[in-house]
Amino acid sequence: MKYSYFPGCNLKTNAKEYEHTAVEVSKILDAELVEMPVFNCCGTVHSMVSDNTMRRVAPVRILSRSEEHQKELEDTKNTVVTLCSMCSSTLKVVNEEVKEDEEMLQKINWQLERDNLKYSGHSEVKHYLEILRDEVGFEEIIKKVKKQLKGMKIASYYGCMLLHPDKAKIDDSETPTVMESLTLALGGEVVDWPYFKTCCGSYHVVDKEDIVNNQVLKITEGAKKRGANAIITACPLCAYNLDSQQVFLQKKGVIKETIPVFYFTQLMAIALGIKLKNFEDHHVDPKPLLKSLGLI
Amino acid sequence: MSFEYIKIGKEEKEFISKIEDISGQNLYACYQCGKCTAGCSFSNQMDLTVNQVIHRLQLGQKEKVLSAKSPWVCASCLTCTVRCPRDIDVAAIMESVREYILRYEPERIERMKVTEEKAKKLPNIALVGSFRKNTEL
Repeated sequence: MKYSYFPGCNLKTNAKEYEHTAVEVSKILDAELVEMPVFNCCGTVHSMVSDNTMRRVAPVRILSRSEEHQKELEDTKNTVVTLCSMCSSTLKVVNEEVKEDEEMLQKINWQLERDNLKYSGHSEVKHYLEILRDEVGFEEIIKKVKKQLKGMKIASYYGCMLLHPDKAKIDDSETPTVMESLTLALGGEVVDWPYFKTCCGSYHVVDKEDIVNNQVLKITEGAKKRGANAIITACPLCAYNLDSQQVFLQKKGVIKETIPVFYFTQLMAIALGIKLKNFEDHHVDPKPLLKSLGLI
Repeated sequence: MSFEYIKIGKEEKEFISKIEDISGQNLYACYQCGKCTAGCSFSNQMDLTVNQVIHRLQLGQKEKVLSAKSPWVCASCLTCTVRCPRDIDVAAIMESVREYILRYEPERIERMKVTEEKAKKLPNIALVGSFRKNTEL
């Protein structure tokens, strides 16, 4: 099976390892992510303003381009797959909105005419975690595991955009289990903790760093207190905030110990025997932990 | 204890209807249970709590709402929206307050300063997200 895959901007800049490991893993699991030949930014945050169609054009343009891409692929579904959870949420929300509102879709399609694009409204947006759970299945992943993640105590950090709003959630928004099931499939240990969807502060890292630091402190200390030695996430912005601000807090002397932050696909790659390229996207060095557990 | 005379006149009603237009939400659906505030990750950073913002909006108290920091502290994580027992899109109301300021009273906004060094370090989604939340369109 092949899927039309929309990377978004961050997977090409400071989450390269996320993309690399996800694509490699997808080949092994026979649910291959094939990158769309042409794509644009989704806009990151979906507009919650009721009277603004402009901000819905970019996501629909992506959906229409993916439809073109799906025609070229053999053995595919009418699905756009994303890795970034902000892209996932934005595309899903707008997809549902235009499906409900024929008039808005017509207006946006009129905008897309000059690119010779038209969105039919028949595509589905899926996050890669959903593909792993619903299409591949954890049983299949267990069969492919070569090296169990023994000794990894993993706190799954969902962040906001995988679970909110209702139109975009990939799992139950108050008690999600998909990342925990994945952890178990890979042979890791699940850490039960309350901060799995406490917002990391998101884009406030640009001009209100204090807010982000406050959240990062709460989240990482919460994970450590419950015995975790790693945090996994699916969002490049959550990963950046948790990772870089921990280093900042450590320099300031607020925290003594740091906890490494991984993308879930990195741990899948380790378990499935794929060689990781490098750890250049990381701020907190994960190598000591992985070496001590004999995983790299 | 001090008392305040509450007036809901033409000006207040105009403000209320503009906020309702932008957000597409009925402000009076809120019965002030406070669940949004209880679940908000940023309550400790806000000068007016989420339910207080909605209450001031219900009364059309424009100045109190527009001078509050709370709508700008909100990071649109949408926890309030998914938990509201009255199915109000609470985060959309916060967004509509930001949008009102951006559309009609932009002089209230402090201009953001980002150094080039920092901008190079930040992930694109942080920059795009922040710019979109801080500009009107």
